[in-house]
Amino acid sequence: MAALTPDERLARYAELTVRVGANVQQGQTVFLLTQIDHAPLARAIATASYEAGARYVDVQYRDQHVRKAMIELGPDEALDHTPEWLKTLWHAAEGNALIATTGDPEPELLADLDGERVGRARMKELNEIMRAQMVARTVNWTGVAYPNDGWAAKVFGEADVERLWEAVAFCTRLDEADPVAAWRDHMAELEMRAATLTELRFDAIRYTGPGTDFTVGLLDNARWMSALFHTASGIEYVPNMPTEEIFTTPDCRRAEGTLRSTQPLALLGDVIEGLELTVKDGKIVDVQADRGADLVRGQIASDDRAAYFGELALVDGGSRVGKTGITFFDTLFDENATCHVAYGFGIPEVFDGEPGEGMNVSSVHTDFMIGGPELNVDGLTSDGRSVPILREDRWQLPG
Amino acid sequence: MAAAGLTHAERLKRYAELAVRVGANVQEGQLVEVLGRVEHAPVVRAVAAAAYRAGARYVDVYYSDQHLRRALIEHAAEDVLSWTPPWLLERARHIGDERAAVVALTGDAEPELHADLPGERVGKARMLELAEENNRQINEQLNNWTVVGVPNEGWSKQMFGEADAERLWELVEFCVRLDEDDPVQAWREHVARIGRRARELNELKVDALHFTGPGTDLRIGLLPESRWQGCESETAEGLAYVANMPTEEVFTTPDLRRTEGVVRSTRPLALYGQIVKGLEVRFEGGRIVDVTADEGADVVRGQLKTDEHAPFLGEVALVDGTSRIGKTGMTFFDTLFDENATCHVAYGSAYAEAVEGGVIDGVNVSTVHTDFMIGGPEIAVDAQTADGTVVPLLRDDVWLLD
Repeated sequence: MAALTPDERLARYAELTVRVGANVQQGQTVFLLTQIDHAPLARAIATASYEAGARYVDVQYRDQHVRKAMIELGPDEALDHTPEWLKTLWHAAEGNALIATTGDPEPELLADLDGERVGRARMKELNEIMRAQMVARTVNWTGVAYPNDGWAAKVFGEADVERLWEAVAFCTRLDEADPVAAWRDHMAELEMRAATLTELRFDAIRYTGPGTDFTVGLLDNARWMSALFHTASGIEYVPNMPTEEIFTTPDCRRAEGTLRSTQPLALLGDVIEGLELTVKDGKIVDVQADRGADLVRGQIASDDRAAYFGELALVDGGSRVGKTGITFFDTLFDENATCHVAYGFGIPEVFDGEPGEGMNVSSVHTDFMIGGPELNVDGLTSDGRSVPILREDRWQLPG
Repeated sequence: MAAAGLTHAERLKRYAELAVRVGANVQEGQLVEVLGRVEHAPVVRAVAAAAYRAGARYVDVYYSDQHLRRALIEHAAEDVLSWTPPWLLERARHIGDERAAVVALTGDAEPELHADLPGERVGKARMLELAEENNRQINEQLNNWTVVGVPNEGWSKQMFGEADAERLWELVEFCVRLDEDDPVQAWREHVARIGRRARELNELKVDALHFTGPGTDLRIGLLPESRWQGCESETAEGLAYVANMPTEEVFTTPDLRRTEGVVRSTRPLALYGQIVKGLEVRFEGGRIVDVTADEGADVVRGQLKTDEHAPFLGEVALVDGTSRIGKTGMTFFDTLFDENATCHVAYGSAYAEAVEGGVIDGVNVSTVHTDFMIGGPEIAVDAQTADGTVVPLLRDDVWLLD
């Protein structure tokens, strides 16, 4: 990497995003959802997309300060308003490519606002359109992060954006001589693990560790998979860069116990710390936290299925994100450092055929981290045996 | 500067309040649209907050980015250059249907970004359907809207030869009367004064204007229905607003068939990321038949090919030496300011509100509207009334009717 100038690095990153992440096809429109603070990356992605044969690149720049003005000063009905034209835009994404960027330049911008209003300030209808597109698998999409001063300051306590760039480049394998080939090998390895776990057909997964004793049921018709996705028309894409996880959608009706988060969670412009959840009959019935509990409570109340689980993901100590030892305060990275679960909607990709009743349907999806060296993960078989999957961050199964 | 001692945040807030309250005149419960570039974020944010404080029911911000336009011009297929995405057309229609207030921002952060691109493609890279929709809404006077400038480093560098955004801020504050203790009252007086000029011209019943000076001998015929307008506009529903801040002009819509002669632009013109210098234009039977320039003639020629009526005049405006913009002595390289420094004409679409009866025969309709400056102390402007009398209007930049 030392030989690359910042512009070359950015161009290389954009190219990886376009070619491996979204895998933009000749003649597609590329929809880029980004923030004004990410303009340099947005511009590089636009150029890379045209070079990959995109017909047109549409960029929607968002601005957290405008959102803040709405939450602080706007009327109630503005909070979850979705402009009609944005729905049209999202529908137009069908059959096309979509790229979203993360990397919050001001992670605590909304911290002093009313948590309940912050939680409600979401374009719910867009999430519903997006979810339908995920079920129908009509969009090849990816999410990537843009290192910036504010995010670096949050991570390191100082605005060392170069250090953050190096960490991001390592996590996304931009430091490899041939990043595209490195990604191919990496995804093959994750695919093998997922296949092993699927074949074992566990009835449930049990997590135990400090503050955590949580058992969640699995579904017969759900596979474990890596983030190597395919659209219904057969376009292969990688929806998250980086990705280190294998995951499945659990049975939303069967979850019991307590969970303690092992890393801070950046959520809706604030940071949640020390999150603890109590779960009964599949549902989150109690939320405690050292900081930001109201935001989580507001979010799980935003629809009647938000308090149920939609994802289980396993990550071991070989993760490049985990190896950096950095808390990124960005789900795209932190969820790939260690094991996590998500409340909210389930991931339809893991089902062969119709998902059925077991998959949760909601307009939210929030991942939070529960893994680390002290967490034990076991597979429970239907005849009552317990099989170790993770001990001290090490993978215990073949693959 | 009365505004001295303000923090930058206070300055932004004051500016945004003026744009929202006096400019667009945002009403309680209105939808508000803000159109800016990524470099305009500080003012966009202040305008969004001011609009909510004024009672907006929702503020929809749309950020554009000249670098994305550059990528489009460099890479996209010919038919995509002028394509309007359906969702943006829907957005524009919604703005009209909902009678939204609109605040649009200018101030080019990289004025020469497109200078090395082929002028023809630069000129073509405009969303045509969107421009037609915007035109329709302006002609039907659906929206209360305003345009304000956003000082930034790149723009200041183009003006001063070095980046000095603070100096540009002070100039802009002077031009929009933010240096006054009570800018709202100052605007009220200013609007009344320019409004009187419009009335005087309407009473004269001007049939044609004659501009003479170095390189210029231009006659512009008006319609019997042409009406002179001052700073203040009104929506069809009767809501007053100030469409440009600053504004110093009285303007009207000419008869598109009756412009003859030659005109030399007296100031540089910033157009589609290029600077047009030394523009000279010749008219025959109302149509531009020849374009030359020291720099940038191709951009103008490309734009004139956009549609059938682009090469006809749609506006003529008179400005005298009392203009605050003129007084700064600066070229801003931004039409919002420069057109208010001195007299100007625009080829392309006319303003229907400046014609009795709206879009009647002789009123130009096009998807372009480009103002260029033709006034200054060396330019004499005379009016010829319907009965043939010649009335001098401007000499040495002095307004002679006051």
